[in-house]
Amino acid sequence: MTHRNFALAGGKIGTIIAVLVLLVWSVGPIYWSLATSFTSPTDLISAEPHFWPADMTLEHYAKLFGSTSMSQGNKVASVWPQFSRAIINSVITSVAATFITVAIAAFAAYAFARMKFPGRNVLFFVVVGTLAIPAYTVMIPLYRLMIALHLVDTYVGVTLIYVSAFLPLALWLMRSVYQSMPLSLEEAAWMDGAGRVYTLVRIIMPLAAPGLIAAAIITFLNAWGQFLVPLVFSPTLTTKPLTVLIPEFVSRNYVDYGLINAAGIIAIIPPVLVVLFLNRFLVSGLMAGATK
Amino acid sequence: MASALTREKTRRFGGEASLGIAFVIPMVVIMGGLVLLPLLSTMIDSVYNVSPMRAGTPFVGFKNYIDLFSNTTVNQSWRNTFYYVVLAVVLETAGGLATALLLNKVKIGRRWLLAAVVLPWCLPPVVNAVVWMWIYNPSYGLLTGVLHSTGLMTGPSLFFNDRYVMLFLVTLVHVWRMMPLTAIILLAALQSIPKDLYQAARLDGASSFKCFRLITLPLISGGLAIALSQSTVFAFNLFDEAWILNRASLDTRTVIIQVYLDAFQNLKFSLGMALSLLAMLASLLVSLFYVLKVYRETRFD
Repeated sequence: MTHRNFALAGGKIGTIIAVLVLLVWSVGPIYWSLATSFTSPTDLISAEPHFWPADMTLEHYAKLFGSTSMSQGNKVASVWPQFSRAIINSVITSVAATFITVAIAAFAAYAFARMKFPGRNVLFFVVVGTLAIPAYTVMIPLYRLMIALHLVDTYVGVTLIYVSAFLPLALWLMRSVYQSMPLSLEEAAWMDGAGRVYTLVRIIMPLAAPGLIAAAIITFLNAWGQFLVPLVFSPTLTTKPLTVLIPEFVSRNYVDYGLINAAGIIAIIPPVLVVLFLNRFLVSGLMAGATK
Repeated sequence: MASALTREKTRRFGGEASLGIAFVIPMVVIMGGLVLLPLLSTMIDSVYNVSPMRAGTPFVGFKNYIDLFSNTTVNQSWRNTFYYVVLAVVLETAGGLATALLLNKVKIGRRWLLAAVVLPWCLPPVVNAVVWMWIYNPSYGLLTGVLHSTGLMTGPSLFFNDRYVMLFLVTLVHVWRMMPLTAIILLAALQSIPKDLYQAARLDGASSFKCFRLITLPLISGGLAIALSQSTVFAFNLFDEAWILNRASLDTRTVIIQVYLDAFQNLKFSLGMALSLLAMLASLLVSLFYVLKVYRETRFD
């Protein structure tokens, strides 16, 4: 009996250690970046790593948000004009791509789940099949197409590419959500004389809201983090997002680690908020997408 | 009554097909115009010589492909990519399975642990790479600091000088981001296993390991196949982490970086298209291999 208790206690301690290791692995690098962004430049280049900023400084954030800032004793222009522009660009392209993707997927997925029309299965197979194709395979012809349409470095161009890249996953997810809903709901509405579009928009979609939210979150996070697409299609600050601007702070011979960590922390605020407040939808969405 | 309902349905939903088509038309236009036609164009143009630097697009047959196979730089990027794929898939699967088993076991605070686990997947890969670049900093980085203070290493750190260490460090950043997805997929598979199977096995005197091998593993094989294919496809497409940490350096260059350099810096569009097609085929073949193999070996008979 005591032997068993020992084994149980041992198992519990093992679990606790495993949980701690997992937490340090997952959150540690983010904590380290946050601590760095508040550490003064002289402390950053000391021999001993500081696990906690000795004297908190907002210096690096001042470089991002101030009109001018001090760098190595000299007054220099801050990066705020570029940085603010990149934030706006990131928000516009990601939010637009999210709305368009979810709107298109919400209707198309319903048609694939519940309606009969010629070519339905082939079409679904082809569209979802593109999930296995690396998005970068089509980048070169896409670039020539976008030049021909004068859509390089425009919000419309970048947003359309995001939609085409993230639509298959949203479609897959939404179809599995619709399929798991009981058909009797729709039948009851039809019996009462409601039309198909009305039933879908006013009855089915509100009930499928958790799935729609999950599809929106996944699309938003993917668009917010995109790098290679805007690296090619957003060459100037007209549409350049944070992900392309931040690496530009790294110059060949000098890297301002305080500045890039501060900029990184600003860039991860939206994803962190999503994880803190909407994680339930995100995880259930990822699970539904993986199992159905 | 039943036949009346059917007739009623037919009357009202005679236009079902046209409504269904209307619902999918926006999707067809976008996917057709921005994915399928460009894919077709990639296939066709890869046997021509298309370059914005010259007029005309002469037909060159398989010359682009032959050039690619005989190019040592391209071959080096293939070797790097295969290294990334093998290492990333192994680490993500092992780590993801361990994480999923742990998450399935933890009862208190599971919601918050899950949030912490998912976090790296949600962040922009570029920001991850920048954060890890600072951790890897040879002079002031956390890695050097930890190695020094634990006495595992003395003197200056030279990790960036060794090609294999560098490949490993880039892979680690990628694994940090992608492991959560494997963990979530496997957790979903674990949660679908009926609990009474384990109770029955325990009554029969099966050990924990035996339960894992005979119950858990076969029943999560579907999830495992999905997890393996997605980690393979993403590792084949590795660009952001390698580009931020080491730019175009040949030591860590991936096939996708090579495509980017060929197409958008050297402006050899056709060469880039041929290479991106080969990368797509390779990643599709490996994924397919997993799906078939995992299913065959762990299926319940």
